[in-house]
This record gives sequence, structure tokens and C-alpha cells, in this order.
Amino acid sequence: MKEVLFYLFAGLLLLFSILTVSSRKILRAAVFLLFSLVLTAALYFLWDYLFMASVQLMLYAGGIMVLIVFSVLLTHNIDHKFDPMEFKKIIFSALLSLVGAVTVIYVILSHPFKTSALAAAPISPEDIGRGFLSYGENGYILPFEVISILLLAAMIGAIVIAKKTTK
Amino acid sequence: MNLQTFLLMRHEIILMIIILVMLAAEIFSDDKKNTYNLSIISIILFAIHTIIGYLPGEQGTLFGKMYINSELTVQMKNILNIGVLIVLLQASQWLRKPENEGKTTEFSLLIYSTLLGMYFMISSGNFLMLFIGLETATIPVATLAAYDKYRNQSSEAGIKLLLSSALSSGILLFGLSMIYAVAGTFYFEQISSNLATMSHTPALLALGMIFFIAGMAFKISLVPFHLWTADVYEGAPVPVTSYLSVVSKGASVFIFTIVLYTVFKSMLVLWTDAVIGIAVATMIIGNLFALRQKNMKRFLAFSSIAQAGFILLGTVAGSQFGMSTVLYFVLIYIFSNLAAFGVVSIISYSTGKESMNDYKGLYNTNPKLSLIMMLALFSLAGIPPVAGFFGKFFLFMASAEQGYYYFVLIAVLNTIISLYYYLLPVKAMFIDTNETPIEPLKSELLPKIALVLCVVGLLVIGFASPVFEYLKEISFGI
Repeated sequence: MKEVLFYLFAGLLLLFSILTVSSRKILRAAVFLLFSLVLTAALYFLWDYLFMASVQLMLYAGGIMVLIVFSVLLTHNIDHKFDPMEFKKIIFSALLSLVGAVTVIYVILSHPFKTSALAAAPISPEDIGRGFLSYGENGYILPFEVISILLLAAMIGAIVIAKKTTK
Repeated sequence: MNLQTFLLMRHEIILMIIILVMLAAEIFSDDKKNTYNLSIISIILFAIHTIIGYLPGEQGTLFGKMYINSELTVQMKNILNIGVLIVLLQASQWLRKPENEGKTTEFSLLIYSTLLGMYFMISSGNFLMLFIGLETATIPVATLAAYDKYRNQSSEAGIKLLLSSALSSGILLFGLSMIYAVAGTFYFEQISSNLATMSHTPALLALGMIFFIAGMAFKISLVPFHLWTADVYEGAPVPVTSYLSVVSKGASVFIFTIVLYTVFKSMLVLWTDAVIGIAVATMIIGNLFALRQKNMKRFLAFSSIAQAGFILLGTVAGSQFGMSTVLYFVLIYIFSNLAAFGVVSIISYSTGKESMNDYKGLYNTNPKLSLIMMLALFSLAGIPPVAGFFGKFFLFMASAEQGYYYFVLIAVLNTIISLYYYLLPVKAMFIDTNETPIEPLKSELLPKIALVLCVVGLLVIGFASPVFEYLKEISFGI
């Protein structure tokens, strides 16, 4: 059952991802992106990564999607249709991505992955919280804090860009 | 872990304090229009920070080896500090322009945040920290590139930088996930010890490493990942361009070299081939395009692509000598490129002229600026007795020592080609005549200090052998 569901979700995810980048209307692309984000969350649920799944749902499918849709609606021409791609370009990029995909998939499939002796146990949110706050080995407090600097800098930058120029 | 161990992170902590102080000062300053004084204060604070960086301190690791502090990383940060200090001094004239009113402090805040990202990147002992540091060092720069947002070119530069760095981060992350799949950890030390026990290199790991090299090559703008460089460098304001081409590039080269020397040391044969290929392509393409440029900013952009190719000569060597030449060359490159950008920026702000033809007859009207420009270009080209000669000479020696004779030969040939285009502006300034030359310019105090610093660096560092000896002592090889 799990396997059937996995292939179903993965297939849909692939389909919607391709639709996201190939859609010629920006709002449609945003909606397809929403579907692929939800499907990613579904994959996490399937593997019992409950925390990851809920973060994925809340942050990406919830928060970030709302932001994207808002900013799309704020732009002037929502129903602007992008020009269709040239046939030569489509062929070229399709070939290029195909070669890349085949290389990567072949290499990954041919790698002899070792099976872990440990049984797969779901990670509890407490463990994740402790991981974020511990400063020893396998503790993540430093990256956790440095990201806040990144966010601060990004916000300052965004304000600078959005500020009215006094000219 | 106690309070004293935090002193190991003194670079990061002092810079963080400066950021917070400046942020608070900006918020609580009464005169919103006149924030120029604040940026002077921030430069003074940063100068103090630069000096403190040279004080001797302890070495060690923090956060379970996620943060590494050694003499090498300290000196790398000090080299970057010098670059940022000069950039800030040069930017002061540009920040005074009326269109930058009300966003002068933000400029230094953004520069400091990206520098902090570079610190964490250089000191990282874990791929996660490397990635977060790299992002912190890149994303705010995109907003800096779009600082002159009333110019379409500048906004375009910001968007291009953001999109291309997002793509390269994606590639880098994908590569890192492959490395994780094979090694089972993100810690540099554990990865290299895990790899040492393997009898042969798995294909997945090799692919991951190639993706990692490609992602870093984007950031250092090596051919064939350089396509964003020229447009971004031309569109961005001059201080941002000089920051991107010197400090950002230097930091990425440093961590690139460290990772290749530590994590991937067991795969030496594989990555030397890849890096040599990229370096040869970078030198040739960078030179060919630089030959055709007439805009001084674009010209310096392509010349900086070619210079990045030369830096890889030291990386490829894989020896202690090799790493020390990388540090030494970046130090000299900071002085020479920033001197050139300093002259270009002074002329650009005062007259708006950026074309090489406008520089004709500059010597008659502005002899000092012309002389500084000449020294900088000589140093970039590698003509003795300026420091650039020693930098390049040591790079060639490091590579030749390991037996990469053909590679060094190609590099020497490229140096000869580069001589031609580096001498074009010199010819324009000193030999060509011009009926309407640029009028004599009076530059402000701070950019003058910056130029003096650059010239002193250019003339002294080449002859001061203790500098190189010290850098060699703290470097490590495979």
C-alpha cells in the first residue's frame, strides 16, 4: 500500500513540478507550485516525518504560497501570457535536462547504499528542539542563530529596495 | 564551553556588535536626513575591528567542530577586512550623493552582514555552516547591486545576481546531498576520514564533488559559470562591483581551497583535472573578452574573471606553498583591483565618464590618479617591481613545483595576452592626446586615504618577505 501511494505521490509531484515551470500564466504556475509543495508534505507524512510534514505544510504550502499569490496579485498584469518558447530552445533544453537526469539517476541507482542496522524510528519534535539548542557535536545552535542574521540582512535589504527614493 | 571560549569567535562577535550598534544608532538618530556622520562612525568602528583582528589570539574549535578557528582562518578574515575597509572608504563619496539620502547606514549594515557570512563560511567545519555562510554572503549583496534602483541596469544586476546565485546554490545543495549520501555526515573531518577508508571513490561521491565545484565556480565566476558576471558588474554601483569582485571572490576562493585540501584530499587526482580545465578556460575566455571591452567597469570585470583563473594555479598545487600563494595573491589582488576601481569610481562620480576613450590625456590633467591607475594595472598584469609580479610568480612556482608544466605554460601565455589589454588604458592615459581631457579633479579625503592605502600595499607587500613567510607558515597542504 505504502509503495503504491509513494509512486502515486511522486508521479504527481513530478507532473506538477513540470507544469509549474512550463505554465505560461503566472497565477497558474503559482497554483501548480502549491500542489507540488503539498505533495512533498504528503511524502513526508508517508515516511512518518511528522514534524517535517507539518512544517512543510504550514510554512511552504501555507505561508510562502500566500506571499507568492499576494505578490502576484499586486503586479499589474496577472493575466499576462508569456510568449511561447521557440521550438529550437525547447528541444535544446529538453535534451540537456534529459542528459543531466539520466546521468544523475544512473549514478544514484548504481551506488551500493548500505542498509542501516538501526530500525527507522520517527524523530520526535522534542529531539528536534534539543538539536536546535545544543552546542555540542550534532547540535545546531550555531546555524540556527546565523540564519537569523541572514534574515535580518535580507529584511534590511528588502526595506532599502522598497524605500521611496528622495529624488 | 564558557565565556572565554567565545573569544575564539572574536571576529564574528565584534562585527555582530558593530552591526547591532549601527542598527540601533540608525533607528534612534534624530536627523533622518543626515545619516552621513553615522557612516563615518561605522568606518571608524570597522577600522578598530580590523586592527583588533591582528592581535594574537587562541586557536580552537567550537560547537562540536562546526566552527573552526585557526591562525589561517584568522588571517583570511584579516585579509578580507582590509578589502572591506578600503571599499567603505571609497564608497563614502558615492554615499553622499543626493539619491542615496536616507540609506547610507544601510549600505554598511548590508556589507557587514555579508562579511559576517563570509567569516562563518571560512571558519566552517561543516557543510551546513558553509552553505548558510555562503547564502548570508550572497543574498544581501543582491540588494546592494540593486542599490541605484532608479537605474534599470542596477535593478537588472540585482535580479540577475539573485537568480544566478539561487541556481548555483541549488546545484551546490544537490551536490552536498550526494556527499552526505555517501559519507553519512556533514562534518569535514568525519567525511575525509570516512573517505580515507574507502578502497575506491564511489561515482556518486565524484558527482557530488563536481556539483560542489560547479556551485562554487558560480560564486567565484569561473568559466563556464561566469555569464552573470559582466552584466552584474556593469549594472551595480561601483563600490558594490569592487566589493563583489574582490572581497566576495576572495572569500569563496579561500573556502573552496580549504574544502578541496581537507574534505576531498583523497580525491586529489580527480579534482586537479577538473580545476585545471576550469582554470584554463577561465584564463582564456576572460582574456579574450577583456581584450574587446571599452567600458572601464566591464573591462575590470572581465579582467577579474581572468585573475580568478590565475588564483586556481595555487589551489591546484595542493601543497602548503600552494595555499600560501593563494592567500598572498588575494591580498595583493585586493590592493591592485581596489586601486583601479578607486580611480574609476572617482572619475565616474565626478564626471560620469566610464569609457576608455575618455581616459585619453588623463596624465596631463590628473597626474596622480594616472600614476595610481598605472601602478594598479601593472600589478594586475604582473610587471615588476609592483607586488602583482611576486604574486603571480609565486603562483606559477607553486604549480610548476608539482609538475604541471603545460598548465603553467598556458598561464604564462595568458599573462602575455593580458599585458596587451592592461597596457591599453596606460597608453590612453599617458601617450594619446585628447582635445577635451577630463578636467583636474579634487578628490575627497576618505577616497584619498583608500588610494594611499592601496599604493602602500602595492609597493610594500611585494618586497616585504616576512608577509609571505608568515602566510606560508600558517598554511597547510595535502
